[in-house]
Amino acid sequence: MSRHPHSPPLFSFSRIWIIAGNTFTHLMRMKVFYFLLVFVLIWLGLNVFKLPHTAGPESVGGEELRLLKAPLVGTMKLFAIIIGIVATALLIPRDVEDRTLYTILAKPVPRLDYLLGKLFGVLLLILAGLTIMTLLLDAVLWYRTQGILTEFNKVADILIEQQQWTVEDRQEARAELLSHGVTWSLQGAILVIFFEAAIIAALALLVSTFSTSTLFTVVISTLSYFIGNFIADGLDHWQGSSGTGEGTLGDLSSRALFVAFPDYRPFKIVDEVLAGQIFPPDILGSLALSTGLYVGLYVVLSWFIFTYKEI
Amino acid sequence: MKHSPWRGAGIPTPATPNDCPPVKTRCHCGSGRYAGGGMSETPAVQVNSLVKDFRGSFGCGMIRAVDEVSLEIASGEIYGLIGPNGSGKSTTMKALLGLVTPTSGTCAIFGRDSSKVDSRQEVGFLPENPYFYKHLNGEETIRFYGKLCGMRGSSLRERTEELLELVDLQDARKRRLGAYSKGMLQRIGLAQALVQDPRLLILDEPTAGVDPIGSRQIRDLIFKLKERGFTVFLCSHLLEQVQEVCDRVGIIHKGALVKEGPLEELISIEDQTEIILRNATPDLLHRIHELAAHEEGVDLVRSGNPRTTLERLFLRETVQRDAEADPGSGTRQGSPTDGTPDGCHNDTEEDSP
Repeated sequence: MSRHPHSPPLFSFSRIWIIAGNTFTHLMRMKVFYFLLVFVLIWLGLNVFKLPHTAGPESVGGEELRLLKAPLVGTMKLFAIIIGIVATALLIPRDVEDRTLYTILAKPVPRLDYLLGKLFGVLLLILAGLTIMTLLLDAVLWYRTQGILTEFNKVADILIEQQQWTVEDRQEARAELLSHGVTWSLQGAILVIFFEAAIIAALALLVSTFSTSTLFTVVISTLSYFIGNFIADGLDHWQGSSGTGEGTLGDLSSRALFVAFPDYRPFKIVDEVLAGQIFPPDILGSLALSTGLYVGLYVVLSWFIFTYKEI
Repeated sequence: MKHSPWRGAGIPTPATPNDCPPVKTRCHCGSGRYAGGGMSETPAVQVNSLVKDFRGSFGCGMIRAVDEVSLEIASGEIYGLIGPNGSGKSTTMKALLGLVTPTSGTCAIFGRDSSKVDSRQEVGFLPENPYFYKHLNGEETIRFYGKLCGMRGSSLRERTEELLELVDLQDARKRRLGAYSKGMLQRIGLAQALVQDPRLLILDEPTAGVDPIGSRQIRDLIFKLKERGFTVFLCSHLLEQVQEVCDRVGIIHKGALVKEGPLEELISIEDQTEIILRNATPDLLHRIHELAAHEEGVDLVRSGNPRTTLERLFLRETVQRDAEADPGSGTRQGSPTDGTPDGCHNDTEEDSP
């Protein structure tokens, strides 16, 4: 067997990938994909029970599709956020408790590689889960859209015959109907859910580097998520009503607040896409950048704390 | 007859690195590795004035866990650090592995600062009561740790096979670790510690919670590693075990190294002499007593039949009985009653009176 003639690299993608793959397998074998069963059950439930709605006859098709996809996308978001917080919160404390961390860090594994491997493992799991659910959602939505389109064409023909609709009205209504089906905007919205989960998972990783219990990490990360959903509005209101918070000091304090409680307001674009709006591609880029910055910042802070952590 | 893997092939034989010149003596029973008695110029472990303070509850005050500990372990030596619970043994080991940062002092492994990640390429570590990832099976566990050390492909496959054979877990290779017994976990722990072919093995209470047979297996393996020139840093409060395997011993108490030196020097009672006779007649014993009584300044402290240890008795009544009942099956645990693995250990069947 060959010996190790040179020092191991301090940062190795292959080592990160090995830890990520192991984390992914670990979580998979913890049966987290049972969540998919919940997803399928909700879909079946939506097919059995017709949900009440108050839309007019011309928007019935679109409304039906919206009512179908909204709970499913909601379930996907719930999956991504729960896994992002709970799975990440579990990983490091469990490794410390089982002393598995000792055996890993006693090998030539830099602590940054370990942290990144753990985070990427969780993100890989979320990505895999969202991909499977997206495929299911798209298949269901496409099938239902085809059925509704057939009905729509019949109704539209009658309305045009009765001169209640023009051809343009028909085109417009058809476009409106299709905007609730399988669209690139919907795929973009699901990608945004992944971005949001990535920020939450990175934050949970940061908390778990100084936390001594899984419960503490879960509570703090969940609180941060809820506060992050309202923080920007609250800050605007506070600055507007009191006139304080302006100037360099106010600006710095609000930035510091956004580090602890990320502003999730831009991620609410998902709700707008579910309502049938088109996803502007430039927003996807800015959200990806914002996600990258938050994840990068949290990883660096986690690394700093974890480097000095007494294990 | 089945060959006992604890005595078989598969022990790694790392080469002498550039910063650690070859030793003077070579072992004839090994496979090319320098002998246990040989010493290279660079010590395997160097701990200089190590101090480690921990913050007290609610951040109040400091608690000194390790107090100015200095020790040196030569290459190829088996060193035992003993002490009561909370005396600072594990903290010293963790500082050596870079798992805790020393308050002051330095630790080095084969001359390399142990706080640097690359020094760990030379170290295998088995923590006390390890659990590992329960979702992996034995084979996957060794492969996982091998990959962390940069091993890949056929070399990793071969190494995994060697180590599974070494720790006698071939039959359990596909079983999840969640279903492993305590002794099996300890053995797979040893396998992962050896995976990258390190020169130094750090074992923290390697037989904690393991039954006497498993404990003997681990002890035999330590002997085997010593034969091949491995350096072993052993931490235990099972004093008999330390006495059996270690060349040198350090006693740590309340964080300070209170005694250190070669085992024989430390435990020998210099003003006493023991003579063990086989088939001595009562008349001969009477004459010896009389001679001692008439000699000025000489006291006969004690005489009588020497006793075996409870461990040896247990092994004789279990493993040897099985072997005698089914001689064709061989013994998977080695021969427990001889107490002399591969003739490299100078223990006698009976203990001294």
